[in-house]
Amino acid sequence: MTQSTSHNSHSAPATGPTSRLVGILAEFSTPDQLVDACDQARQAGIRRMDAYSPFPVHGIDPAIGITRTRLPFLVLAVGLSGLFVAMGLQYAVNATDSIGPFPGYPFLISGKPLFSLPANIPVTFEVIVLSSAFATFLGSLALNGLPKFANPLHRIARFRKATNNGFFLMIEAEDPNYNPRTIRNQLEQWGAQSLEEVHLDLTDHKLPSFVRMVFVLLLAVCTLPPAILYRSLGESNTVPRLHFNPDMDWQYKSQAQQVAPDIAVGDEEERPMFRDLRAMRGEVPGTVIRGQLRDDRAFYTGISGAEAGLALNAGGASYVSIPNAQDEAPAEPDWLTQFPSNEKFAVNAQTMQRGKQRFDIYCAVCHGTTGEGNGMVNQRALTLNALGRASWVNAKSLHDYTVVDQPVGRIYDTITNGRGSMGPYRSQITPEDRWAIVLYVKALQDSLADAVAEDEEGKWVPVRTTPPAPVTEAEPAAADATTTEAETTEASGGQN
Amino acid sequence: MATTIDEVYNNTWDDPRERSPLITGGLDYGQVTTTVTSIAESPAPPRAWYVLMAISLCLVGMLGTLLLHLILSGVGVWGNNNPTFWGWPIVNFVFWVGIGHAGTLISAILFLFRQNWRTSINRAAEAMTIFAVICAGLFPGVHIGRVWVAYWLFPIPTEHLAMWPNFRSPLLWDVFAVGTYATVSTLFWYMGMLPDLATFRDRATNKWKRMIYGILSLGWTGSARAWHRYEMAYTILAALATPLVLSVHTIVSFDFAVSQLPGWHTTIFPPYFVAGAIFSGFAMVITLLVPARALFNLQHLITMRHLENMCKIIVATGLMVGFAYTIEFFVAWYSGVKTETQTFVMRAFGPYWWAYWTMFTCNVFIPQLFWFKKVRTTPWAMVVICIFVNIGMWFERFVITVTSLCRDFLPSSWWYFRPTYVDIGMFIGSFGLFMTLFLLFCRFLPVVAMAEVKSIMPHEHEHEEDHH
Repeated sequence: MTQSTSHNSHSAPATGPTSRLVGILAEFSTPDQLVDACDQARQAGIRRMDAYSPFPVHGIDPAIGITRTRLPFLVLAVGLSGLFVAMGLQYAVNATDSIGPFPGYPFLISGKPLFSLPANIPVTFEVIVLSSAFATFLGSLALNGLPKFANPLHRIARFRKATNNGFFLMIEAEDPNYNPRTIRNQLEQWGAQSLEEVHLDLTDHKLPSFVRMVFVLLLAVCTLPPAILYRSLGESNTVPRLHFNPDMDWQYKSQAQQVAPDIAVGDEEERPMFRDLRAMRGEVPGTVIRGQLRDDRAFYTGISGAEAGLALNAGGASYVSIPNAQDEAPAEPDWLTQFPSNEKFAVNAQTMQRGKQRFDIYCAVCHGTTGEGNGMVNQRALTLNALGRASWVNAKSLHDYTVVDQPVGRIYDTITNGRGSMGPYRSQITPEDRWAIVLYVKALQDSLADAVAEDEEGKWVPVRTTPPAPVTEAEPAAADATTTEAETTEASGGQN
Repeated sequence: MATTIDEVYNNTWDDPRERSPLITGGLDYGQVTTTVTSIAESPAPPRAWYVLMAISLCLVGMLGTLLLHLILSGVGVWGNNNPTFWGWPIVNFVFWVGIGHAGTLISAILFLFRQNWRTSINRAAEAMTIFAVICAGLFPGVHIGRVWVAYWLFPIPTEHLAMWPNFRSPLLWDVFAVGTYATVSTLFWYMGMLPDLATFRDRATNKWKRMIYGILSLGWTGSARAWHRYEMAYTILAALATPLVLSVHTIVSFDFAVSQLPGWHTTIFPPYFVAGAIFSGFAMVITLLVPARALFNLQHLITMRHLENMCKIIVATGLMVGFAYTIEFFVAWYSGVKTETQTFVMRAFGPYWWAYWTMFTCNVFIPQLFWFKKVRTTPWAMVVICIFVNIGMWFERFVITVTSLCRDFLPSSWWYFRPTYVDIGMFIGSFGLFMTLFLLFCRFLPVVAMAEVKSIMPHEHEHEEDHH
């Protein structure tokens, strides 16, 4: 059964200074024989040996004297660092304003904390697993001394069975108990089927120098693209950046008060995004904007009964005076004479306070805090009139008999849509506030019903006027550049 | 010499007096090696391999063309539109990720439970995992729309963007989970393959093969010291991969469950998704291995007992999935939330009733046939049932994704989702990619983990006289 050959099959002579004896390789036919042989060698005092088998042979570790690997501790250490790296990264990136030279990016989402364990655990877990897996793989390779492509064992043809169905034991020549004369007999005694010496080839097999140069050059060239990329994308620049796909730099967009964008492609004819050319879209017919359902029409228009619906559908009638067209005043509708009452508005002291506050903000600048038509804007505008630098129409006194006799719906409508040279306030004041102002105006009128005031000539006259015998026509408001400013605040005038 | 038992033996019956052998055919170590290596060493693969490869490559070509079309035109070429922003691409992503789970379950969880029968099938199943994850990663990768800025998904510091990802977002968790899963699966697969690659290297007859397999096997010699650390490393990797595989589909389910959409916002999703993933993965393993074992003559290594065991797992996970479908309805009703209840009623009886009942039939009713031993031991019947299971599992993801999105909170935006030809073509094309990779794997890499199979063959404490 023993067929010992002193040299392996490869052509180079394994003698002289070109090679060195590494050890002796013995083949066994079964894993059990291999374990037995390892055991015997160990009892014979041999320590420097290793077994080779196509699969892990159980029980061979104590026979050879293999101690438990430190790999688990390495993996534990790397896994723990993974824990701290992942937690630290998430904290630095999402919960601080800057990490080193780079800005942090705290996401404020629904008032949730920037760093909270439950939300940060998934990524932490994955990083731990990933780093531990790499530690396991690379650590086991490093401990095994892999990759190792130059191994004298690979030069022995028989050794190729070690990955198929052969079981080998190699005893190293450097072992103190290695005796070149007796080792062969010993191994045969322990059941070796064949024996071969393993030689390390000492001849020079270095790569040609130009290969190394080419490799270094290639490596240098490989670093260029990332460097260029970083240069153009990562750093601060004074010139426009390299932009691979500027797909989102130019987009169709609609701007307020402008026509719809042209979305024609290539040589196509002009094609507006909307057929009516408007960029701002109107309401879809038959729909109501959220919160704008105005089913209590009397409340919103100040007009009672069926006419209210017409006024609303027409978008609110305008009584703002237009020069040259003022004798075409529409017929007076059926104004509300009583204050409306619903969940938004009720006549009470609180509403009165609200009405006073709103009146002082929006109305008093022209009409004056007592409603006598002597607000600050009015006074200034009259001064400018006197200097010939404005053509201001005097703000109406709310104690004028024409106003005192008006139904509440009519006053509400004046605030809403404007009248004469007074502009509309529907976009500034909410309906319930307009009604509150009406309430306050009524209270003002009542409070000064019997009051007197000094006029320009120093005479004491009643604040509330009475209808004169001949009806006087007020001058139409002149459309002049200098009055524009005054008009936009508040000015009441005209024939009413 | 160690040999396995004779081929006439039916190893699907359990004899209480002795363990049924896992490998049949009377093979010894050398014959196990040649059975596996002959696939790569034969001068030409079987004709069926060429036919399948040609079909797969055509599908890959179609996939590539459609991807180019998608990238040049934008994601509008898909059927996704408001409010169904997640259409087929995400359905396909979840489907493929799920398929992958069986591979890791076989290689890691069954390893920790010392289920030795896994050794014959784990290599192919792990390969399937990696290829499935490649197909899965493709879809969200292009679903982001602007693929040239895909690096924004990762925490890379740039002054240009001046922004970091939101680490509390499930979609970012998904990037980490699927990325880790793909990486760790590949490491695990490669680590397990090292000894077998060394076998290929040592048997290689031409210079190129010896060099390529030599580099891939990293100089593995099978030394006892190396085996010791290798086994420890393999165990640690299995212990890492086990919670990982459970976490991956859990996190995929978080993509849905952490949002507040009725039909998605539910705590049952993580276990339900994991069970479904294992269910579909095993079905895919059977679909691949039954033809592969016939094509490459692996019947003695991948025996009927292996296939039967997988059928049993399919029945078990199929029942779990069926239980989840049922309990979802109970939870929806018990929540007392009207939209939630309505969503589930809509699923089963609304416009997508056909998808729901396809899912239910394929996943819950059809696998019940595996209760019959005759069905469990008939390969063609297994393949047919497993194809149904995979159809059902695709529909499960479709039902979850599309039915919830099509009926969002605003009834005026309800609509009926329809895929475009790009959706359908890319899904079919992804099978081409998967099959191409699998066929290449069968031809050039060790399909069965030879070293592991040899280690579970009956050899310990037996002496030569027992056999010869």
